[in-house]
Order: sequence, then structure tokens, then C-alpha cells
Amino acid sequence: MRQLQPEPPPPPDLAGLLGQVARGDHRAFELAYAELSGPVYGVVRQVLRDPAQSEEVAQEVLLEIWRTASRYDRARGSAAAWALTIAHRRAVDRVRSENACSRREQKAAEPEPAEDDVAETVAATLEHQRVRRCMDGLTGLQRESIKLAYYNGYSYPEVAKLLGVALGTVKTRIRDGLIRMRDCMEVTW
Amino acid sequence: MKVMREDLHVLTGSYALDAISDTEREEFERHLQHCPACEAEVRGMRETAARLALACAVTPPARMEQQVLAATYRTRQLPPLSADRPRQALSPRRTLSPRRALPRRSSSRSAFPRGAVTRRVAVLAAAASVAVAAALGITQLSAQHQLDQARATAIARVVTAPDAHVATARTSVGGSVTVVTSAALREAVVSASGMASLPSSRVYQVWVMSPSGARSAGLVHGSSLLASAVRPGDRIGITVEPADGTARPTTTPVAVLPV
Repeated sequence: MRQLQPEPPPPPDLAGLLGQVARGDHRAFELAYAELSGPVYGVVRQVLRDPAQSEEVAQEVLLEIWRTASRYDRARGSAAAWALTIAHRRAVDRVRSENACSRREQKAAEPEPAEDDVAETVAATLEHQRVRRCMDGLTGLQRESIKLAYYNGYSYPEVAKLLGVALGTVKTRIRDGLIRMRDCMEVTW
Repeated sequence: MKVMREDLHVLTGSYALDAISDTEREEFERHLQHCPACEAEVRGMRETAARLALACAVTPPARMEQQVLAATYRTRQLPPLSADRPRQALSPRRTLSPRRALPRRSSSRSAFPRGAVTRRVAVLAAAASVAVAAALGITQLSAQHQLDQARATAIARVVTAPDAHVATARTSVGGSVTVVTSAALREAVVSASGMASLPSSRVYQVWVMSPSGARSAGLVHGSSLLASAVRPGDRIGITVEPADGTARPTTTPVAVLPV
């Protein structure tokens, strides 16, 4: 069923670059930085909201990519997915290590809706449209569960509480929703 | 525990979105190692999540680039994993990460104050076959800075013995057990990893089992154990016992391996 679509060209071969980075090539790292810094900073900021903190975490993530480039294995997935997994995980770790109360206060104090961030976006318009189109194809519960989990960094029990549904329901909605998104966006893996 | 497994499988999505607790993550990653279908599904979901990230890319402040590039010159890189090393989890291990972006000790390995003894173990072990070293998880071994000297030396002797024989088996509680035996030395090194964690009132106990009965080889406390006076035909078993261990096994072994 999967067919090749005109993708937004992922210009340099990121996986190849990471191989060079693993051998200590600083020039290759600059190229990888150019590819990855926007999505890394974007996803970290989406989760953390606070720009200063996001910058700090994004720096840590990018340095981590330098440090652990040798551990990237292209047989196990794309280089972008590897890097963005590190980024999202690190952002979520930061959220969870903080006091939940102070975080909520902070969020209430300086609301910064995701849409504003996205409007600043330089690189991501096309991808953004696709994601939105595919999100529209989900049920309301699937969509909300995925957004709260990924973009807000909530755990599935937190998502369940926010949406007032059972734990098991959230787990299956997240899974089913992601499978639908995967097929809708014609993700290859 | 079929119900449990199905329940775990539903976690693929939450796992891919980092929406689970650390405890669940560890449990799920153990499950992943034995579930190729789950792993494939997680892989597809990770790629999907990456698209969600790409969709919200934001150009970072320009100063960030200089800071990160400068930091790379001060940061040592990790060596590649060897192909024979047991499979790592899909996700990056948090414990390996440097905490702050700017100057620091760069390698997590150097953070361990290793004594002369453990260094010697690491060196000896490096001389052993790659399979043996990998099976024992030698980095873990070298990080054990409290290894008692005699035991460390004895373990190294078995692992590097010319007739060292390696057997590995999965346990019924997840993870695996590796036994390295030297028939000439009549000793075996038992090393377990990834088994389900137990409440503080219980412990895993290792037994040398022969037709005449079972004798204890010690309790599993995270590092390798040495079993002495083993004979061909003996088997190594692991059971769950009360925290202080028992004189003889009281439960069905979670794994049994020949020496």
C-alpha cells in the first residue's frame, strides 16, 4: 500500500553525516546542526514553553548528538527520529524532574500557545500542514491524547486524568492514533 | 502471563511518545527485546513522532550554534558499541547523558573511580574472547568499584581460562543469565541481567544443582557471582527466596543452565 510520494527533500544524508560526526568531524557536525537544530529546539520548546530553559535543553541535546553519534544505527530507524527521540525525551525528563505545581503556575503566568511558536517556524510549513491534515483524521480522543502526550509532555496517566477517561482507554487511543497518523503520513520505517 | 504481555503491547504508543514512567519504560524495554513485532511497531511510531517534531521546528537563537560548536571541542565522544554486545534498548539511556551543556568531565565512564583491582579485571577480561566479555557485560563489571580482590581475581581467571565455556538462557522473569564455566578450574561465573526487580523482602539466589541436591552459590546483588567446585553435569539454577537467602531452594527456578 505504501507508495513513494514527493517528500520535502531531506537534503544532505543525515545518517551519513552522523557517521562522519562519530569519527570526530566538526564540519559534518555543523551540517547536522543546520538540519537538526530547528526541529530539536522546536520540539523542546513545545514541551517546555520557557524559551531560556528550552535553549539550555536544546543545547544539551545537540551536544548529546555529537557525543553519542557512534551509537546511531541506521538499521534501527532514521537519523532524524533518533535525534528527535533524544530531544523529546530530554525535554520530558526536564518537565518531570520539576515540581509539577511550580510548572503549572509558570504556565499560567506566561501562556504561550503552540500556534504562535509554529507561526515563527521557518522550515516546517509543509510538514505542519500534513500533520494537521492527518490529525484531523483522528477521533477527538486520539487527537487530544497524542497532543497532550507529545506536545505537552504529559504521561498517559496524566492525560487520562485531564481527559477524564480510563488509563487503558488512553493507552489504546494513543497507540491507535499513532498508527493512523503513521499510515496517513505515509511514514516509512 | 499472557494478559500482562498484551497489556504491555498496548504501551507501544505511550512508549514512543515518552508518556510512561521510568519504571514502566524499563519493563517495556525488557519486553521489547523479546518482541520483534513490538519493536517494529515502536520504530514506526518513533518515525511518526519525529514528523510531529519536524512540524513544529523553530529556528533557535543564533548564539546557540556558536555555543554548541564550541562545546563539541571540549566534549569527548562515546566509542561505538561492539556488534557482539547484548542489544541495547531503543532509546538513549539517560544515565549516559552529560547534565549541562558546557565544560564538564566528558565521559561517563571516567566518572567511576576505578581501583587497581577492577582495572585489572577489565584488562584481563579484554583479553578474553569478545563473546565472553560481551556476555558478562564487562563495562558493568569494571564499574563495580567494590569488588573484593580475591573474588575479582577469581572471576577474571575463569573468564579468561582457555577452556571457558559460555551458556546463556532467558529467565522466566525477563532478562537473561549467563554462565561462564572453566572445567579445568571447576569454577563458574554467573551473571544475570534484566530480571524483574523484586520487593525488598525477596532476593534472587543462585544454586549449584547436582543429583545429590542443591547448594547455594550466593545471592544476586547486581554483580557476577563465582560458583566453586562445580562438576560436569552440574546445573546452575536461580530461584526467588526471602531476603537473606535460604539453605535450599524453596521455589521453582526462574532459570536453569548446564555448567
